[in-house]
Amino acid sequence: MKSADGLHLNNLSARVANTRVLDDVCLQLPRGRVLGILGPNGAGKTTLLRAIAGLSGREFQLAGECRWEGLETARMTLQQRARQIALVKQLNDPVFELTLYQVVRMGLLPHQPLLALPDAVDDHEVSKSLKRVGLLDKSQQAFATLSGGEQQRGLIARALVQRAQLLLLDEPVNHLDVFYQHEILGLLRQLAVETGLTIVMSLHDLNLAAFYCDDLLILQNGQQQASGPVAEVLQQELLQQVFGLPCIVRHENHGVRVDFCPSHTGWQREGN
Amino acid sequence: MLVANLRLRWTVLLLFAVLSPLLSLGFGSAQLSPVTIASCLFDQCPTAMDQLIFFELRLPRILAALLVGGGLAIAGNSLQTVTRNGLADPYLFGVVAGAGLGAALVSVLPQTMSWLPDNAALPTAAFVGASLSVFIVHGLAMSAWARSPEQLLLAGIAISLMLSAATHMVLYLGEPFAANKVMFWLMGSISRIEVWQLWLLLLPVLLVAVVSWLLGRRFDALLMGDDTATSLGVPVARMRLLGLLMCALLTAVVVSQCGGIGFVGLMIPHIVRRWFGVTTRTVVVGCLLMGGGFLVWADTLARSLASDQEIPIGIITSAIGSVFFLLLMRTRRW
Repeated sequence: MKSADGLHLNNLSARVANTRVLDDVCLQLPRGRVLGILGPNGAGKTTLLRAIAGLSGREFQLAGECRWEGLETARMTLQQRARQIALVKQLNDPVFELTLYQVVRMGLLPHQPLLALPDAVDDHEVSKSLKRVGLLDKSQQAFATLSGGEQQRGLIARALVQRAQLLLLDEPVNHLDVFYQHEILGLLRQLAVETGLTIVMSLHDLNLAAFYCDDLLILQNGQQQASGPVAEVLQQELLQQVFGLPCIVRHENHGVRVDFCPSHTGWQREGN
Repeated sequence: MLVANLRLRWTVLLLFAVLSPLLSLGFGSAQLSPVTIASCLFDQCPTAMDQLIFFELRLPRILAALLVGGGLAIAGNSLQTVTRNGLADPYLFGVVAGAGLGAALVSVLPQTMSWLPDNAALPTAAFVGASLSVFIVHGLAMSAWARSPEQLLLAGIAISLMLSAATHMVLYLGEPFAANKVMFWLMGSISRIEVWQLWLLLLPVLLVAVVSWLLGRRFDALLMGDDTATSLGVPVARMRLLGLLMCALLTAVVVSQCGGIGFVGLMIPHIVRRWFGVTTRTVVVGCLLMGGGFLVWADTLARSLASDQEIPIGIITSAIGSVFFLLLMRTRRW
């Protein structure tokens, strides 16, 4: 593997209003792999995604190095970065009632000249992506009226239209029921296989992460606790320390399973 | 929404915007018959008096109403988009209060502007006052005080109250006659518009409409939140500043020429979004047509409701607008 390939983080740190919220994260993620970021609430999962997306500003200062395909993302222009890296934030309703089609079409922005006019080619791109995520028949519906799973798929369609090579997702299966959780993650997995898309996403469910990701990175208080292939990272001692709960980790032949045993709450169901 | 239905709506709106000015030419304290209007438009007015009324009074006024209505509606949309808040009002940032302060100062101390012709002194002073508030807003937007759109709006309210307090202080200390004049001026009127002022209105309205339309897709991205917009390659801070300045300048020009005209900037964009869609390009075109047509009728009422005097147009827009808006709200969730 050449060092230029994929995502390369070298001591990536972030500060919000002079408080350090992310400390020296180092990572090597080859192209086409799926990385899950794990950690308790407030560990810096979203911060790490924002840092990789290069969303630095007056309030959010970055230090260290983030390279994508050998290029330092901090040196790319906004538009160059937008052509390479797509960000799917947690679901929140847009203020006014944009239709699904209009939301997905925004993915074209990095590829359009400043004063672009409507275009049949654009239409084709948007329809193709909507079809890929199975939402073509809902394109004219208001985005806010779609179900959580549909909205999430819509945002993924936007990222496809954006033609980015690196896809960042902030808790893509938050608020979704079990069916949609697997549907979304399965879709992402397929996209990674089909198109060589590299995916970095934050997740809460360790078992989902173990099932769908190639690599994991565990954060606690902005510090990187572990990173690497799933089976290496999911170790009982580490998880107990990071999440503050006793747990059992089983390495089975089709993957790793983690079960937490919250005995400290004092509640125990009879008969188990 | 069905496509055919949408096309019908646009047709109705276009007819409304074109026919309203034509129909309203016939209303006013001096009656002009349809025949007179037609001959004035396409040939020559029957009498010199008709000529004067038509070209010097009525036509400029109606054109001004079109521009002011469309302009205020676009200004409102621009502010609502960049603050992601449907309740943002273009008058919020103290533009009216700033204009009022300018107007109050020049009314109480007329000698300060004596080098200008009488009818230009007050609009000029009002524009200077409005620009002052635009500069303060600009400063706020660039400063650490306005970290989020919500903070920006709250800061705008504070500036507005501060300038109003200054205005009231000046009026309180000044003579009652000057205070009256300023109060009436602030209620809004298009009756004083002269032909040269039409150009003053036309240029900024056209400029802002064209820029908003061309950059429409990028403004739309702001609706998805700052992080998402940035990740789509949109320079969020610059777009927000541009939208803010477009709104403030447009409002400053309108307020300095016509005083305070409420409702239009807040409500017209809402109605357009509801009937035609929410993308910036759609809303800008819809606002121009609907805001313009609406204000033409409001001004027609202002000059023909009471036979012997003008009613300030700001009273009419707010009165009709609020009732209409409440009725509209009843029919759907917002």
